[in-house]
Amino acid sequence: MMRRLLRDPLAHFLVAGAAIWAALSFAGEPVDPAERTIALTKEGQANLALGFERTMGRPPTDAELDAQIESWVREEVLYREALRLGLDAGDPVVRRRLSTKMDDLAGAEVETARPSEETLAAWLRDHPGRFAQGERFTFSQRYFRSEDALHVALDAAGDADGDAISLPERMTDASYADIKAVFGSQFASQIAELQETSGAQVTSGYGYHLVEIEERVEGRQRPLSEIRDRVEADWRSSTAAARRARAFELLREAYRIEVE
Amino acid sequence: MDFRIGVIASALVLAGCDLFGGGGVTEEQRGDGTDTIELAEFPDRPYWGDTHLHTDVSVDAFGFGVRLGPEDALKFARGEEVTATTGMSAQLDRPLDFLVIADHSDAMGATRRLYDAPRMMVRDPTLRRWRDMMHESPDQSTRAVAELITAAANDEIPEALRDPERQAKATRELWDRHLGLLDRYNEPGTFTAFAGFEWTLMPGGNNLHRVVMFRDGSARTAQVLPYPGLDGDVTGLWDYMDSYEQSTGGKVLAIPHNSNLSNGMMFEFSGPDGGPMDADYARRRARHEPVVEATQIKGDSETHPFLSPNDEFASFGVAGWDLGNLPLTARSTPDMFAGSYIRSALLRGLTLEQQMGENPYAFGLIGSTDSHTALATADDDQFFGKHTGNEPRADRAMAAQNLGTRQGRFGWHYLASGYAAAWARGNTRAEIFDAFMRREVYATTGPRMVVRLFAGFDFGESDWEGDWVRAGYTRGVPMGGDLVDDGRAPTFLVSALKDPDGANLDRVQIVKGWVDANGAEQEKVFDVAWSARPMDAASNSPVPPVGDTVNRSEATYENSIGAAELRATWTDPEYRRGQRAFYYVRVLEIPTPSWVLYDAKRFGLTLPKEVVEANVIQQRAYSSPVWLRPRGTPGDAPPIMR
Repeated sequence: MMRRLLRDPLAHFLVAGAAIWAALSFAGEPVDPAERTIALTKEGQANLALGFERTMGRPPTDAELDAQIESWVREEVLYREALRLGLDAGDPVVRRRLSTKMDDLAGAEVETARPSEETLAAWLRDHPGRFAQGERFTFSQRYFRSEDALHVALDAAGDADGDAISLPERMTDASYADIKAVFGSQFASQIAELQETSGAQVTSGYGYHLVEIEERVEGRQRPLSEIRDRVEADWRSSTAAARRARAFELLREAYRIEVE
Repeated sequence: MDFRIGVIASALVLAGCDLFGGGGVTEEQRGDGTDTIELAEFPDRPYWGDTHLHTDVSVDAFGFGVRLGPEDALKFARGEEVTATTGMSAQLDRPLDFLVIADHSDAMGATRRLYDAPRMMVRDPTLRRWRDMMHESPDQSTRAVAELITAAANDEIPEALRDPERQAKATRELWDRHLGLLDRYNEPGTFTAFAGFEWTLMPGGNNLHRVVMFRDGSARTAQVLPYPGLDGDVTGLWDYMDSYEQSTGGKVLAIPHNSNLSNGMMFEFSGPDGGPMDADYARRRARHEPVVEATQIKGDSETHPFLSPNDEFASFGVAGWDLGNLPLTARSTPDMFAGSYIRSALLRGLTLEQQMGENPYAFGLIGSTDSHTALATADDDQFFGKHTGNEPRADRAMAAQNLGTRQGRFGWHYLASGYAAAWARGNTRAEIFDAFMRREVYATTGPRMVVRLFAGFDFGESDWEGDWVRAGYTRGVPMGGDLVDDGRAPTFLVSALKDPDGANLDRVQIVKGWVDANGAEQEKVFDVAWSARPMDAASNSPVPPVGDTVNRSEATYENSIGAAELRATWTDPEYRRGQRAFYYVRVLEIPTPSWVLYDAKRFGLTLPKEVVEANVIQQRAYSSPVWLRPRGTPGDAPPIMR
């Protein structure tokens, strides 16, 4: 149990939260609405100035900085008064916003984390379908407007030219998605299932085709070095979502829910 | 709830911000895609995209209820399954190749912030009422946004929502995050994610909106913020675009849309101040706005039966929309139509060019969705609606719309339209953007027809026997190009291939517009290829209707009529030397059911007969025009191929 806790993101969050809480309390930071002093440190002022500079592309004048400080103070006063009045308690927006923040927290750590090679290698191993390079085909095709035309061609020992159409006679190293984009779903799914490589009859939304498969490259798993960035991006978004879900589950377990 | 937890939570969130700056993005994904993939010699296939998609960042989309953001939008567009706001799972059968998320630059993220703001902090009584309405119910939320759009149209937006400094700060955060996300999903050769926004100029409710689309990655686009609109005039937007290009070395273009809701203001004959248009204005407009969105969910802007009485297919997607401007605060009158539709704008462009040497309206055509659901789909059999309030549900087809409620616009007037197709040599930001700049793009109302158009002086039937695409590029110009009059009638190679997963084709037409010897604007629609009877019929005889296989109650059709491909070599029989003209292709599918009939079947609805018949439609494609210019006039098109 202890080991599980040590690994758990929520446990990290709670411990970190407690630590920050302790630190903030110790430093006497303005977190208590009963506290009647509002102090803006030099650091805090520098942050306000920086925020201004990032928006406007230049540092604020003294008057502008004063205005920034004034608006910060105003917000802080109202914020504390709101807390004093307990306005956060019954407000569905505060409720929703805080719950969203809890959600974000559980995922936030993952967003900036730098996963190790081992983590990514394991991720790739566990989700082969997401990163595999699908089968690829090199093929040529002749088109026939009608089934009759196709049969005539077959009777002529298959050397008829076919009917004219603005479709490629040949596709090289094409993925399933490429083939589907050009020839449509019906054609692509039949190509994927073909047993024979020569003189295959395939139908499409356009009509009838005689297909010669020249090369078929089996799908393959690509090594991590080739697709590291993709694996990392996928790991990041999936892990954040999973952590949010797990963090919630853990919290949820501590409640008994009664719905009347 | 203990406030302390809230404070701790805030501290932790602040400590761990920079949510989207993370790793996992390569240099190739960050840039414009130049030199990242092998390019074809000539554009070899159309790349499909939507340049006009809204997510929960848009002030109105969020209010209409969407809770899907840009990341969901990107996932959906590139083919992954997502869950729509109303809970249905959604996946594109065929992924898109590119996407421009075009959230409104005004009050970007503001409804979300208003929604999230503690009630007591919202002091403005109007804002507070809207906030309460958004929390009350989806219907009330939709109503709040309709009020907001009307307020914007009437220039009555509460001050608190327009405070530029506060807005700039909020926008900066959103924009930086957004650009990082786009780079992460941008994969040269596979999927292109463009930065962009919608600029929402709307004087008096007349729609002068533009989608702004950047060629570049975040290194350049992060140097600016989306440009706010609502008031001002369009030259302000062009100034912004010029300054972006000069200061970053990047490129940007703007795409006007919903001219059909502009009450004649989108394509005015006069200049912006009401006086005559000057050449500088015309030149700037043509340079910044090379492409116009011709078709989308809020109707089709190709032409209107009033303007094109001899065009039997002119009424597509017009009903309801032609009643007035965007929020229906001002009714349309017929004298406004010429400034609201594309064909008449192309004609005005010719006249203006004749008068002052510059054509402000020499634009190419695309379609896009303008969906406010974060789902870029233009499919009729699975229409996800204009906004979250009309995602699939039984009463949406007959419901009065939020825009102009109970004044004659109904759910069934929405079109499940459209897409943009770009003829490019590969799928990168640079290649697709450049195709837009040289207007080698076309519009469809949803189906993925493959449309080629080449114009030259020496094409013949025999070109079809060889490599006609090479012939087209080497001996002529593709769609979007300029042809300089050399005394011979121009000849066109036209090919239209049906959507392999869709309906057969009825016919291919060439729409010609010109200025005659008396200076009058003329238009004519020529049928150049059709399926209804043998192709060698005399080309001027009227083409019979293709037929109709639509089963109204089952929402099905048969491909037993129509053709898989239609081709034509067509020489203009009415060519006159020195005439200024444009030619574009219109491709019509055989009749099919629109989303309304699929809805009726799915939900067991009984619809009024006229609504059923109006929803047996002929989906279509519009190519960008080719212009025929008298010798010695400056062509404003960029070089066709580098």
